[in-house]
Amino acid sequence: MIPTIKEVAPEQLDSTLRSWLTEEGHRLGLITSIDGRQIITLLLNKRDASSSILWSRLDNNEYQSLTPGTPQAHWFERAIHDLFGLIPIGHPRLKPAVINEAFSNGLASLAQDIDSTVTSRPSGPDFSYLHVEGEGIFELPVGPVHAGIIEPGHFRLSCLGESVVNLEIRLGFLHRGIEKRLTQIPWTKARFIAEAAASDTAAANALAHAIAIESLLEVEIPARAQYFRTLALEIERLAMHIADIGGMAVDLGNLAVAAAASRLRGQSLRLADLLAGSRFLRGFVAPGGVTRDPENFLPQLKAINAELSRELTPLLDYFLSNPSVYERLRGVGSLSTSLAKEFGVIGVAGRASNIDYDARTIFPHATFPKNAPKPVLDSQGDALSRILVRAGEIASSLNLIDGALDNLPSGSTKCTMPSELPANKTGLGIVEAFRGELIHLVVTDESGKINRYAIKDPSVNNWTGLAIAARNNVIADFPVCNKSFSLAYSGHDL
Amino acid sequence: MFDLLGYLLKQGKATQPGLFPDLDEAARGMPKLAVDKPCQGKSCNACADICPTNAISVFEGQGKGAQVDLDLGACIGCGLCIDTCPTELFTRDTSTRSAVSCRSMLTNSNSTPARTASAMPSKSKIFRRSLAVRVVSTGCSACDLEIGAASNPIFDMERFGISIVASPRMADALLVTGPVGKGMHEALRRTYGAMAEPRIVIACGSCAISGGVHQNGYAGANGLGAILPVDVFIPGCPPHPWSIIHGLFVAMGRE
Repeated sequence: MIPTIKEVAPEQLDSTLRSWLTEEGHRLGLITSIDGRQIITLLLNKRDASSSILWSRLDNNEYQSLTPGTPQAHWFERAIHDLFGLIPIGHPRLKPAVINEAFSNGLASLAQDIDSTVTSRPSGPDFSYLHVEGEGIFELPVGPVHAGIIEPGHFRLSCLGESVVNLEIRLGFLHRGIEKRLTQIPWTKARFIAEAAASDTAAANALAHAIAIESLLEVEIPARAQYFRTLALEIERLAMHIADIGGMAVDLGNLAVAAAASRLRGQSLRLADLLAGSRFLRGFVAPGGVTRDPENFLPQLKAINAELSRELTPLLDYFLSNPSVYERLRGVGSLSTSLAKEFGVIGVAGRASNIDYDARTIFPHATFPKNAPKPVLDSQGDALSRILVRAGEIASSLNLIDGALDNLPSGSTKCTMPSELPANKTGLGIVEAFRGELIHLVVTDESGKINRYAIKDPSVNNWTGLAIAARNNVIADFPVCNKSFSLAYSGHDL
Repeated sequence: MFDLLGYLLKQGKATQPGLFPDLDEAARGMPKLAVDKPCQGKSCNACADICPTNAISVFEGQGKGAQVDLDLGACIGCGLCIDTCPTELFTRDTSTRSAVSCRSMLTNSNSTPARTASAMPSKSKIFRRSLAVRVVSTGCSACDLEIGAASNPIFDMERFGISIVASPRMADALLVTGPVGKGMHEALRRTYGAMAEPRIVIACGSCAISGGVHQNGYAGANGLGAILPVDVFIPGCPPHPWSIIHGLFVAMGRE
């Protein structure tokens, strides 16, 4: 998809953005910069599936912060400060987002002056934590290295007795410089880095990358490849939703369900292996189509999917109809619809708070929106709601996989691709990953080289949702609250 | 509850019989070099050109043709070299016995026969029957999920005496995933420092071995070897759960 570009003066950006967001169906995609000399704001219109970019040129490294008027801009502005050294004047709390102390040397890694050299950040990042003061308040630091097998991040919980007063989330431990690397290597090799942004989301990342590149080149993807892309996306969703529900069963001590779920997740990875030759669907979706035609494995795919359907339904029933599961999760980590909306919470967490947004129903990717399932919604916004939404989506993914295998068109699985990208063009890929809306934005320079590659993982929006949901809950509920959101660290830190 | 018990009983035994079965025909696996196929040398260079992680080097050679080196420590198993080579020098490696105890053993060359894994020297003896493993992730979570999968009922590595522990104080081995960007250097050094000796360090996945697709970026994500002494290397992106168990077997001195 190619967004339309509108010039907006930096001083008008705040009011333009605010008035845009008041209308129903409008959404803020992302805010970033190309090289530190402008702010670009991606706006998405869900009613007509269109997108536009507000392009604000800057004369210096300061601009009026958008956060006071548009709270969901806060995380984007912190990342802009980390990567470009730009200062949003009036930002309520400008702490680092995607870097940690190891990167405090003042280097703004994506900013360039006219000579294309990296400029330094004018002020060092402020790594202090928000201190809650008062009698009996204590702080509980958790991470970056956690007890389980998960990615690193730091949680600072300020507690009063058992109750969490404030949760501060510090990420950036996994900053690998992915966005910069994507501009340094030939675009034909970029897909491997794009999918490594978060490999539990490899298929969705590869698809968003492919769509962004294809929109620059204006190529037509064969119908068979589109069906294989749908299969890849839904197998990934299925596998990760099973993993998340199984993980929740572990946290609740329901080990029988956990063991059965991990076995069935193994079966869903078998689907991925048959389709793509990789349990994580790596290297399958590529610009131009898909890299292999798993024709010989289609009967096996069909059979295993049917078996999964048969075995998952009763298992989810046992788990979700268990009174102790209900008691443990109901009312834990509540996120109201209004707060979810204000902070742009999306995906599973958004739909559990009754935000009716599933990119599959709106933005074209794979075979969507043509055969998009009805979004699974819940209105309670708590940990149980998020599990119920996942269970509903497992059912719809199983149906989608079955349908795609039945209706698979014949033909080729890739189209011929030009070797050069067009100059001065902006391409956009929007995909509903298993966590929610994933955006890849590619901007080329006058020689057709990628000079900015921006990735917006769904977790960027949702980490704030977790910080809000954990508040006023007892500390013992934090692990299940965190698990119910199941957010990506690597996709966020890049 | 009885319904659930009945359901579990009906599922039967999920655990795979046998140790380290080969990957089946659907899986892409990692590449390996055939010793009996010719190479067109530097003038072709197609494999080295297409490799996304510069894992392949082509040298001009004498006799049978050019020498080709494949560094499995950088390879992400994309399979492009297998598809591209005009003389079919690259083939699929379906073995899951892929871990080694020396970095140089990961370099596969067409001039020498394929290497086999070897056990580690002395310090591995006491871990033969039991290994407590602390996992630290510094990457994209695919390796982490595969380590998790290695404990599931299908692979069930606990039956070999391998347990994942929650603290470095209890751990014999440090299993690291991801490219080890500088944001994780301090946390890793401290985790290592908290472990009692003798301790084993295992790099799991091509990122942890060499930085993989992230190597040479500004974030210094060039693998674990830059900051800690690595004892065992498990190639793959991500490695198959059987390969991960193989790596732990190498650490225990059982392979």
